Order: sequence, then structure tokens, then C-alpha cells
Amino acid sequence: MITVFPAKSIITMNASMPSAEAVAVRDGKIIETGTLESLQPWLSKHDHEIDEQFKNSFIVPGLIDPHLHPSMAAVLLPTYFITAMEWKMPWGTTPATRSPTEYDERLKEALSKPTHGELFITWGHHNLWHGPISRSRLNSIDSKTPIVVWNRSFHEVCMNDAALELLEIKQEDVENATQIDFEKGRFYEIGLGYAIQKLNPYILAPEVFKEGLLKLKEVVHFGGQTTIADMAVGLFDFEAELNTQAALYENEDTPFRVELIAHATVMQKGNSVEQAEELIAKLPERNSHRLNFGKRVKLFTDGAFFSQVAQLMEPGYIDGHHGEWLSTPEQFEDNARVFWNKGYAIHVHCTGDLGLELAVDTLEKMQDERPRFNHGFTIEHFGLSTPEQIFRLSKLGANISANAYYVHELSDIYSNDSVGFERASSMARVGTSFREGITTTLHSDFTMAPAQPLMSMWVAVNRVNEKGNVMCEEERITPQQGLEAITINAARVLGLDHEIGSIRAGKKADFTVLQENPLEIDPLKIKDIEIKATVFEGKVFNIKTQ
Amino acid sequence: MIPVTVVAGYLGSGKTTLINKFLKEAESPIAVLVNDFGELNIDAELIDNQESLTLSLTNGCVCCKLSDDIGVSLESLKGKDITAVIIEASGISLPINIANYGLSWPGFSLKGILALADGQSIGSLLEDKFVGYTVKGQIEQADAILLNRSSGLSLEVLKGLNENIFLEEEVSNYTDLLSAKYYANHFIGDSPKEHASFQSSIFTSNKPIKRDDIKKYLLLNPNIQRAKGWVCEENGIYSLLQMTPSGCNFSPSSFKSQTRIVFIYTGKLSPFEF
Ligand SMILES: [Zn+2]
Ligand SMILES: [Zn+2]
Repeated sequence: MITVFPAKSIITMNASMPSAEAVAVRDGKIIETGTLESLQPWLSKHDHEIDEQFKNSFIVPGLIDPHLHPSMAAVLLPTYFITAMEWKMPWGTTPATRSPTEYDERLKEALSKPTHGELFITWGHHNLWHGPISRSRLNSIDSKTPIVVWNRSFHEVCMNDAALELLEIKQEDVENATQIDFEKGRFYEIGLGYAIQKLNPYILAPEVFKEGLLKLKEVVHFGGQTTIADMAVGLFDFEAELNTQAALYENEDTPFRVELIAHATVMQKGNSVEQAEELIAKLPERNSHRLNFGKRVKLFTDGAFFSQVAQLMEPGYIDGHHGEWLSTPEQFEDNARVFWNKGYAIHVHCTGDLGLELAVDTLEKMQDERPRFNHGFTIEHFGLSTPEQIFRLSKLGANISANAYYVHELSDIYSNDSVGFERASSMARVGTSFREGITTTLHSDFTMAPAQPLMSMWVAVNRVNEKGNVMCEEERITPQQGLEAITINAARVLGLDHEIGSIRAGKKADFTVLQENPLEIDPLKIKDIEIKATVFEGKVFNIKTQ
Repeated sequence: MIPVTVVAGYLGSGKTTLINKFLKEAESPIAVLVNDFGELNIDAELIDNQESLTLSLTNGCVCCKLSDDIGVSLESLKGKDITAVIIEASGISLPINIANYGLSWPGFSLKGILALADGQSIGSLLEDKFVGYTVKGQIEQADAILLNRSSGLSLEVLKGLNENIFLEEEVSNYTDLLSAKYYANHFIGDSPKEHASFQSSIFTSNKPIKRDDIKKYLLLNPNIQRAKGWVCEENGIYSLLQMTPSGCNFSPSSFKSQTRIVFIYTGKLSPFEF
């Protein structure tokens, strides 16, 4: 049976037939796109039905987030969000909270609801917006409910008396620890590690982890995504992450697939890189319909962008501090060589321009030693870069997967407090990367940014930061490029472009149904376009409007 | 509290060899936390003899402390019959970040940071475009440097970064190398007779400290021969303190470390009251 979906317009992202009026689907795949008339040769010869539910909507290829972390999301989503930025969630929008008084009010309001468990954990506190947090401030809000406030950057927690008591953290045990301020109830850096150990029974408990992954399922659907990539399976526990995803996502009511990319150093654990490669090579044996390992691997160069430990070239950070490496250049190169020579697509987490320099130098060396074409070497995150590096990346055939959201959330603070205006305004230089002809996609790195491709597209197209200022208009991309980034280019970067990413005969019938045309609407409204439904392999999954 | 020693140094600086020597020399059980990604191969036989144990570290999540291997390992040592912990910092670690476990994990204290350097390669590593700064930090942040295969040129360079350098050939007992006394003596000078009378104390704090209070304390205790350490001042300023009999100097530091000052003195010290 063929199902035909007519729409106001179908934006195919297939350059040979950029728009259509109807798409015909059979057994989860696209038969043909065109008009009801042009589809007749198929329709006249086969059983079919015309499904008109999208006739007043726009259909785009199913949106793809090519880099997020289901396991991080599973930990974060069960917590209560009080954040400086607005976060749209399927169960309600978390409004922007931007002053200490507002913060306290939101916290009080949340605690007054009877829905929270034994321990109340809230995420999103940020000193610059919400003021310094302390045990006494929390006690004055609620002294009976155990409260844990988890910082936006994940690098600090603060607890009230009740939480300290519940977790059995006593003054005499921790008074010599310099990164624990017991009086203020604050645990940071190493002290945070100690607090997290005490919190782990609550946040990593199998039921909580499951609850988190089920919430992520809603989030992914709500964001209009039909494909996501878990860009480092094994962050906490490889087997648990894989098995729980398989148990919860491999069923008919999951409207997306997950491309899984193994974390190379986790697979290595105590063995040689060659042994790690052998293990990774066997992972596709565990593939199922929705969960797929391809011939790809994740490596890391420098530290996290949000924590200001990206490695920078001269002139570095304003305050003179330096970033961190996540592996030595020698180990990075050795690892890259093993996977390169075995034909893998290597995805490299790099955030600063010096971290990127290491990735580019290494790729250049690999190309010298053993040239490859269409090799899928991908720069992940792409925080700071130079135009010259992008030129080299283009010549070397690399792809770029950028977290454009950095521009929105960080470009203003980083102008003032981190790297200065010139570099802060040009973070995530996607304009240049499109001009150099590089296959460029956008990701959320959720939980670092909202898992909403239209939000990523909105940032890349407008480059408006949280203060409302346009940052480096020269690096903006067009709506057409923005939509390519979150559909066909994302598919190319994941090596899935033969199956998904555009709407054409033969591909999987993955669609996202929008109430407005993202290529024609005022670009500033792209992030607010209502997503009506997604279609995953021909099956319609409606999205409830809030 | 169980003392923690950090062994730092870039790839190929000889951390494996040194840690094996510690295991061999140890008279009471020690625990060694080794980094899984390096070249490290612990000699299993040495461990069996000693009731000591080795735990291996991996780095899982890079963005949060949800899987904090060092913390988990330290926690698992509590209640075991362990008299000391040695943590092998990975080649790219700044030792202060690892030393913070000794300073901040409940039940443990920081004994010291020992960095290794290979005389043949240290010169070029310090100039390296990627890791030059990291290697410089490893040398500057250590309490003592053990230099393998010395070469005249790099010794000069290293002395400029850290004056407390041991040459491999002058070390007879590696466990001693970790005792504050051993390096306290080395700090002060060459006359072996005076050595016996020197002592050292370490002051640590998690609260900001006023520079003037430290200066006052030093004036009050003229028997302090040397002091060196990192100070976290008010307004989030971090500085490096270096005090010799000829004067006391604070220089800005880009390492965000908690306050930790090593005092080397004769006789008695008045209590720390910062
Ligand atoms: Zn990453
Ligand atoms: Zn990531």
C-alpha cells in the first residue's frame, strides 16, 4: 500500500528537484516525490491512499542531530531546570531566569510542588546571573527538603543542611579538603567528585537512568529529529549505555534511530589501540533496526569549551590561564593512525584553535602517509578556529560539525571575560566553512545546548547572542545552508546520506512537518516554528502542542 | 590521613621505572594509581611481594565529574591497610590538578609532587607548539624534579623553572625522595652536616589568604629558611610565593591552585594563623 502525503510544500534538499507538492511512501521508503499528477504512473498501478493531514504544512527531511550524548541527557533530564537561557521541553518551557531573586522564587515554586522525590536536584545555576549560592541561602528557601544545586557548567554543586544530612557528609570528614567549603555547602572540582560519589546512588541508579533516557526520547521527538548520533558511547559505562538504549529505543513507538560512535579511549582501557580497533570493528554485530554502529570512532584533543579549558593558540586567554589536553599529541596521532589506516571515519572533539591545529596537523600527516578520499574525518564542536585552518581542512577533505549555540550563549561573556571580542564573535565560523566548500553540519552536543536542530539553525543563520547582538555577521549562513546543515550535510557527516537527509525516491521516509517554511519565514523566527509531527520510516508521530 | 604523592612527567620521562622502584623499596603496603593510556607496565611480581596494590585509571567523561576514576580509587582504598598512595599523572596532566586530590579528597593529604624529566628531550618539549606549556607547568609545579640522562643545556633551563632538581645518579633511595626531609635538605644546600636539623611543614587552606598575613608570619618566624608554594588570594588572584633568606617574592600564577605552602625551617614554628 502506497501512502501519499500532499503538503503546502515539500522542501526536499535534493538539488535536482528542490521542491514538490506530494511525496509517496511505501514500506517506510520514498517511492517518488512530485505532484499528485506526476505520481500517477505509480498510483494508477498500485493500491494507495492520500493522507491529507499535512496538506497545510511544510515537509522537510527528518532533522538530524549528529552529535549528542544520551547518557549525559539521562543524568540531567530527571533534574529540575532553572536556567539563565530559555529551554523548551516537551513537558513545558523553562523560562529564562536572570536574577538572584527570580532564581530563589523559581526554586521555592518548584519545591512547593509535591512531585519531587527524596532528594531535589536542580540544574542550571550560574553565578553571573543568579548570584553566589550557599548552604544558608538554600536553607532559607527550604530547610527540610534535601536540595542539591548543580551548576550550569556541571563543575560545582551546593547543598543545604538536609541534603548534607541525607548524604551523610559530615564536617569532620571533609574539613581538610580544600575544594570543599563545608560552611557554604559548596563542592567544586575535586570536591565535586566527592559529592558526586555520594550522589551517584541517586543520579545513576538504573531506574533514574531509564527515566532519563525515556525523557530524552520525548525530547528528541519534540525537537523534530528522526536521527541522532550518540557521539561517544561509553562516557560512563559502555555496556549499560548500549543495553539500556537498546531496551528502551528498539521498539515500534520510537520515532528515531541512533547512530552510535564508540569512545576510542574507553574501548582501549588497558589495551593497545590495535586491540581497541578490533573490539570496535566487531560492534556492528550488535546492530539492530534503530541502533547502528558504522565504521567510525570518536577521539579527543582538547578540553571543554564551556569550562574555558579549550587549548588556544597565541594570544591565548585574557587572564593568562591555559587550556587542557585530553590526550598527548603523540597518543592522539598513534590512535588516529590506527583508525585511519583501517579506513575509519574519525570524529575529533576539538574546541580551541590549538586543539584544532593538532587535528589538522595530524590529518595532514595521515594524508601524506596514506592518502584517502571521502574519508569522513570530522571536526566536532569547532569552537575557535582560524580562516587558514579552515582552508587547510578544505584541502584535506575534512568535514565540520559545529556547535553554533556557543555563539548564542557564550559570545558575550567570552568577549568580556575570556578571549576578547574578535575571537569570541567569530566562534563557530560556519560562514567560512561553507565558503570553503566543506560539508558542514550543526549539532547540539545535548546537554550542552538544546536538542533542537531548528535552534542550531537559527543561531547559525542569525548569530544573535543572548544579549540580542549580532556576532560577526560575515559568519552567518543562509537559511538554505542552515537547513542543509541539519539534514543532508548531517547525513553525509554520519555516512548515512545514501539513506536519509533528503527527500527523494529510494530514501527512507523520514520527514519533519513544520507549520512555516523555514526558508521563507523571517530568519529570526526559525527557532519558533511549530513542529507538527515527524514521520519515521513512513509512520506518523504527532507532536502535542503545549 | 593517607599521604598522596603525585608522580608527573611527560611521555618517556621514566615514570614507569620510578614507580616500579617505589614498589620494590616500599616497606609497608602502598597503593599505586596508574594511568591506563600511557606506556605504564607495572611489574606484577613486585606488587605481590608487598601487599601493595595497583589500580588503573581511565578518563571517561570529559565534561563532568560523573565518572571520577581517581576519586573512586581513593574512596576504595579507605579502610584498607595502605600507608601511602602514589598517583601517576598522565603525560598531559598538570600536576596541581592531580595534587588537588591529595588536598581535597576527604581522608587524604598531599605529600608532594615529584616530576620526572628526560634530559635528552626536555629542551625540545619545552619548545613544543602543543605541549610546551604543559611540560613547563609540570616542572614548575613540582616540589622536586628527578632528571634522567642529564645534559648541561637542559639543566640550566630547568633550574630557571625549578631549582629543586635531583640528578638520577645522586638518588640512592627512591622512597626517601618522597620524604619532605630529603627534599627539604636538598632545597637548602650542600652541607650534609646541617641537614639533620631542617624540618618541613606544609600549610594548606581552602580560604583566600592575605599576602600581608603571610609576610607577617614569615617575619615572626625568622627560623624559616625557605618557603615556596601557591597562594589563593582574595579576589580570586593566584600567586606563586618564593621565599629565600634574601627576600620574599610573590609572582602572578595562572595555575588555579588552592593555597599550599611548604615551609622549611629549624627549631619550632608558631602556629599558622592565616
Ligand atoms: Zn565533545
Ligand atoms: Zn560531545
